[in-house]
Amino acid sequence: MTKDRARGTVQRGEAGAFRRYVREWVRANAPAPGGPYDQWERRLLGARLICPAWPRAYGGSALGPLDVLALAEECARAGAPLVRRGVGEHLIGPAVLEHGTPAQRSALLPGIVSGADRYCLGFSEPDHGSDLAAVATAGEVRGEEVVVSGVKTWVADPHRANMVAVLCRTSPASPARDGLSLVLVPLASANGVRVRRVRELTGSAGLGEVRFEGARAPLSHVIGGVGGGWAAAMTALSHGRAHEAASAHLVFEERFWELVRQARKSGRSQEPAVRSRLAWAYTRITLMRAAGLRLAARIAAGKDTGAEAAVAALARSEFERRFGEIAVDVLGAAALVRPEGAGYGLSEWQEALLAGRGATIGAGTGEVRRNVLAERVLGLPREAG
Amino acid sequence: MSYPFSDDQEELRRTVRRFLTEKSPEAEVRRLMESAEGFDPAVWRQMAEQLDLQGLTIPERYGGAGHSYAELVVVLEEMGRALLCAPYFSTVALAANLLLATDDERAKRDFLPGIAAGRRIATVALTEHSGRWDADGVTLEATEAPAPATQAGGAEAAAADGGWRLSGEKFYVPDGHVADLVLVVARTPAGVSLFAVRRGAPGFAATPVPTLDQTRKLARLRFDRTPARLVGADGGGRPAVAEMLDLAAIALAAEQAGGAQRVLDMSVEYAKLRVQFGRPIGSFQAIKHKCADMLVEVESARAAAYHAGWAAAEGDDEVPALASLAKSYCSEAYFHAAAENIQIHGGIGYTWEHPAHLYFKRAKSSELMLGDGAYHRELLAQRIGI
Repeated sequence: MTKDRARGTVQRGEAGAFRRYVREWVRANAPAPGGPYDQWERRLLGARLICPAWPRAYGGSALGPLDVLALAEECARAGAPLVRRGVGEHLIGPAVLEHGTPAQRSALLPGIVSGADRYCLGFSEPDHGSDLAAVATAGEVRGEEVVVSGVKTWVADPHRANMVAVLCRTSPASPARDGLSLVLVPLASANGVRVRRVRELTGSAGLGEVRFEGARAPLSHVIGGVGGGWAAAMTALSHGRAHEAASAHLVFEERFWELVRQARKSGRSQEPAVRSRLAWAYTRITLMRAAGLRLAARIAAGKDTGAEAAVAALARSEFERRFGEIAVDVLGAAALVRPEGAGYGLSEWQEALLAGRGATIGAGTGEVRRNVLAERVLGLPREAG
Repeated sequence: MSYPFSDDQEELRRTVRRFLTEKSPEAEVRRLMESAEGFDPAVWRQMAEQLDLQGLTIPERYGGAGHSYAELVVVLEEMGRALLCAPYFSTVALAANLLLATDDERAKRDFLPGIAAGRRIATVALTEHSGRWDADGVTLEATEAPAPATQAGGAEAAAADGGWRLSGEKFYVPDGHVADLVLVVARTPAGVSLFAVRRGAPGFAATPVPTLDQTRKLARLRFDRTPARLVGADGGGRPAVAEMLDLAAIALAAEQAGGAQRVLDMSVEYAKLRVQFGRPIGSFQAIKHKCADMLVEVESARAAAYHAGWAAAEGDDEVPALASLAKSYCSEAYFHAAAENIQIHGGIGYTWEHPAHLYFKRAKSSELMLGDGAYHRELLAQRIGI
């Protein structure tokens, strides 16, 4: 490139200073591959790099989204596992920060940072998947407690959680959204919460059904107040989507290059159809990163990101499904055979193909996502009903 | 962080959009696409004098405004949106970029100020009968004639009296019929080289050809022992051509992103108004889902063009990969959106009077120009090392 053109007004990387710091820090502190995870986790905790976007008062470092991304990318570069607190970090924490009282923040957030409280999300129900406003699980306020009864399905990793965030109906008389509350319920059979794991078409059981039989939670675990659950749940979901959009490329980048290595090894990387598919996948991943950076910059600037995050979420989910298909197509005959062993074990790529079917169903089906984009972003009229 | 756009860039966008809304409404597009020249010289002058558009990315020492490629992406996006009929892509994205990519200081000083001032329309003649968009496809020959000694006396005299002669044909040359300056990619015994030919040079003939997309004019150029001035080193043309092709691909991608956004807007607007079976067609899921898919593609196309423009502004090593990425993605996104726009409009979209076909034809022509999606995906595969 001639330098004539390079002296524009665009600058990259105000995140640069933090990135340099974190690169150094990761290099100095990361465990050797397969090294002691506990020690690495303790070091991250000490450096306030777990839930790093959260305010310092609650254990975070108040990092902006670009710096959070820099941390993730530098960990990936160093081969160090990123320590995340999942639903607690990306959905429930933000909802507590935005809708909770100061007392709730102090009581609930430190447990998420330390890893003592591990959340799963009880939103969807057998009869209400994408149509969340219609959930029917009951939450009855009795004195200083909420008593929850009902069934939640398609809950991700409930067997790893000790807390479940439940969207339930506390006032059956109010219209759909106004009667909902977001309640954080201890997930224990002693509390009347039972988990049944659901075997997915991949053969594994990451999802589960969570049944509440008079499960109790103190009123201090209701986020956004009784009847204020819809807003709190939407905050949680939109933070989840924004996080997803800003970081989704990380996983795909790694898997993409692994797939390229496989294709080289088998010689299929020389076939035009395979090359075209790989280049297409690379294109989508690169655009995912570009959209993520843009989204992160908008979040940092305090701008509304609902529309962009929704667009990014549809693009990501459709790509995830397609990537699984491309992966097995690239492998060819090798994808016909599963790894040896008992049960229904799958290779990484077979898993991608099968789990990809869920990508366009979970957290809103592709059809519902398209309706939402058409109505809320493009302003098309709602369906006559 | 200014990615993707600073406030200055948004201001530039507003200014250009206002200008084009006034100067390039549909009626004007239709008038110019039927004309032989294909552009309005008065508007061309205003673009330079009022907005500095031709010199936007030309450095100040050559009479330009010295902005980065990221700003140019904004301008081209707006031009694609307005279907502007003007030799801007040829002059700026092809010719100025090619000149800037050479190390021929004299040629830059001779030619760029005229381009920046809007006095000189320029283009690049690369492609031949074979329809190839790369330097390898070039067969047109340049020979060194036993010419008189170089005379002093400025660019025009030098161009006419250089010791080189070109003979052969070039096809698919954007705006070749109105260009004052044609930069010709030719072959000498030393290899691929660049030559400047002025309009009216002996043995030079430029003929407009009828085009599928009437808003972008193409010409066939004939050279018969046409005197030409060597630009850059003899045999040293390849790197400059490669750089120009990448930057021109980003430019087209930006136009495509702008056009795609416009057809999505048209579709959404129509779907809200058009009533069938007693309700707006936009309330049918079949239409909603088309629009939602277009939205995702349009947003992604814009991200691709911005990302590549941003890399170009920074002189990033990834420019070649990102250029092919943007060209392949935006080509297909625009064509798909333009095609869906006709479908959503139904019968009225199939008529000559409705503008949907203007965008559809532009979408196809810009998809094919410089290589289509499949071509650039293969380039991308090579460029990322697959």
